[in-house]
Amino acid sequence: MIRMKGINKGYMLGEEKLPILKNIDFSVEKGEYVAILGPSGSGKTTLMNIIGCMDEMDSGEYYLDGVAVHETPQDGLTDIRNKKIGFIFQNYQLIPTYNILQNIVMPLLVRGMTYQEAEAACMNTIHLLGLTDRIAHKPSELSGGQKQRVSIARALVGQPAILLADEPTGALDQSSGKDVLKLFRELNEMGNTIVMITHDLEVAKSAKRIVRIVDGQLFEE
Amino acid sequence: MRISEIFRLVYLNLSQNKFKVILTSIGIVVGSATIMLVLAIGMGGRAEVAEQFKNLNAGAIDIAYGGESSFNMKDFMNGEMPDMENLGNEMQQFWGSAGNSGSTRDGDGSSGRGGFPGSGNMMQQFGNMFDGGSSSSGDEVILTTEDCEELELFVSGISDSTISYSSKASLEGGELESATTYTLAGVQSNYAGISNLEMAIGNFLTDKQNDSKEKVCVLGMSVAREIFGSAYEAYDSSVYIDGRPYVVVGVLGAMGTVASGISPDTAVFVPYETGIKYITGPSISPTVTVIAADVNGIGQVMADVETVLADNYEGATFTISDAGTKMEAASASNDTLTWLLISMSVIVFIVGGIGIMNVLFLSVKERTNEIGILKAIGCSRRDILIEFLMEAACISFIGAVIGVLLSLAITPLVELFSVRVELTLSGALLSLLFGVVTGTIFGLQPAYKASRLIPVVALNHE
Repeated sequence: MIRMKGINKGYMLGEEKLPILKNIDFSVEKGEYVAILGPSGSGKTTLMNIIGCMDEMDSGEYYLDGVAVHETPQDGLTDIRNKKIGFIFQNYQLIPTYNILQNIVMPLLVRGMTYQEAEAACMNTIHLLGLTDRIAHKPSELSGGQKQRVSIARALVGQPAILLADEPTGALDQSSGKDVLKLFRELNEMGNTIVMITHDLEVAKSAKRIVRIVDGQLFEE
Repeated sequence: MRISEIFRLVYLNLSQNKFKVILTSIGIVVGSATIMLVLAIGMGGRAEVAEQFKNLNAGAIDIAYGGESSFNMKDFMNGEMPDMENLGNEMQQFWGSAGNSGSTRDGDGSSGRGGFPGSGNMMQQFGNMFDGGSSSSGDEVILTTEDCEELELFVSGISDSTISYSSKASLEGGELESATTYTLAGVQSNYAGISNLEMAIGNFLTDKQNDSKEKVCVLGMSVAREIFGSAYEAYDSSVYIDGRPYVVVGVLGAMGTVASGISPDTAVFVPYETGIKYITGPSISPTVTVIAADVNGIGQVMADVETVLADNYEGATFTISDAGTKMEAASASNDTLTWLLISMSVIVFIVGGIGIMNVLFLSVKERTNEIGILKAIGCSRRDILIEFLMEAACISFIGAVIGVLLSLAITPLVELFSVRVELTLSGALLSLLFGVVTGTIFGLQPAYKASRLIPVVALNHE
């Protein structure tokens, strides 16, 4: 599913380049549930951005579901993000002016569906995540846990190759966090490939495989 | 993404920020209202000019004895001080106003007030007490019907000619309680055709009535109403001009204000020869009006007329003027004003457009995170560019519609100041078009900026 080889990434700090990711080799098979565990500043968010085709690597090779991402131009990355990746963000990243349904159908609208088609296509996911009676609400009217469920629903509706979660429980209380992790396990058991980034070992333990990132280098547990 | 779905998102965004949309579009509201009103006022001005010149024939050339300067001694002797400004410049302006206020010397064909027969210089009528000095000849020249015939004979390109004069005469009869002074015009039968006059009732004066010096007259609409109450009552009745009865053989249709010469509404028309015999006497200063067959050949006809007159009246000075030039000048003046106002509107639009651009820039900054989300879920640059451009276009359209409605509301207020306003559908459409185009153009840069945002940077924007 994911094949990364020799990935390097750094940011310019004044005139010097600060290396963030150092010669990363990383693979994820279809149906895996992987947690990338690391402290703040270890480079895990940068790695997630590269996996999610949101940022460009300086060097290395990256294949996602058979597509050579490192050879894909910017416009192609947009398409990959829409069709192969489902993002779940720490702070949900919902559009505040849209209601829940409008937020969830967005990836399908981007694919070219009509609103009616997209609405029909996402109703199962909405039902699965227990959001049926919330679809007309605005994000501001929901709790943190519910918002994260909306975020997960939006990531799922496009049936992506991988679900990419960045600190999915970071903004939630303990109870809501546990619910989300339980949901992740259920989704993984349904066949979804999940890559989760976290700094919390307890959260990471919910995954089937943990990879540590320290100073821009990956270590298998 | 489908355009229809992008439009749905635009609608969603705008409908949830109504107040912001109104504030953003204020510049376009003002711009659209301005351009709509400017076009309407311009059209109104054009219509006004057309109406005021409707008694003029574009091919008409007025010929009157005398130069540019003249002075009405009779009025002066009567204690009416002339307008000293005009005295130094355009004395004819004075004559024109004097004519309407009861001077026996009325109209002013000599200054070429525009292709209107009967607006001749009548200095001689009052004893030639003063000549402005423009005429170099010692003897006064009185143009006659023979001059008309000669001009038609010797100048090629003349399709018709007429001679006329105007004066003042005292009228009695009908509902008038006492004698009242009106403008009197001595004209030939073809005068009505040349001056584009239409009859409300009856017929215009005929050659037969002129030849036999019949005491008949045609009244202007206002005169008919003042004396008889209506055109119908006036028709076939009699009025007394200088104590003699004249049968009213017709009443002219209302013409309204005219730009030059005699206002037909307030004049009494009598046969040319009848007027000379019974009212004015032979000391008149008529205006000969010739009609150029080809409007484009007016210059040559005027030159030829001048040559013929110079041959016939050696040393005499004539004022020869054409109506078309005056009509063009008036139209050009109106066009200049319209363009000036349109330029102002364009400036207002630019200011409005800059306002939209600023607000959209702020909007892009405010919605950077949203743009990041859209990019994260796969929205292309094109989709984001189109969404922001459509937002700009919609805001502008809303502003333009409000502007057009505002101009409709303002129109009665403008008309209160006696400004003629001619609202047109094309003006409204042009205002809408200008509004939308301006907003869209100024929305281009913010939309482009939004589309070029880097996803990860936009997403992490605080």
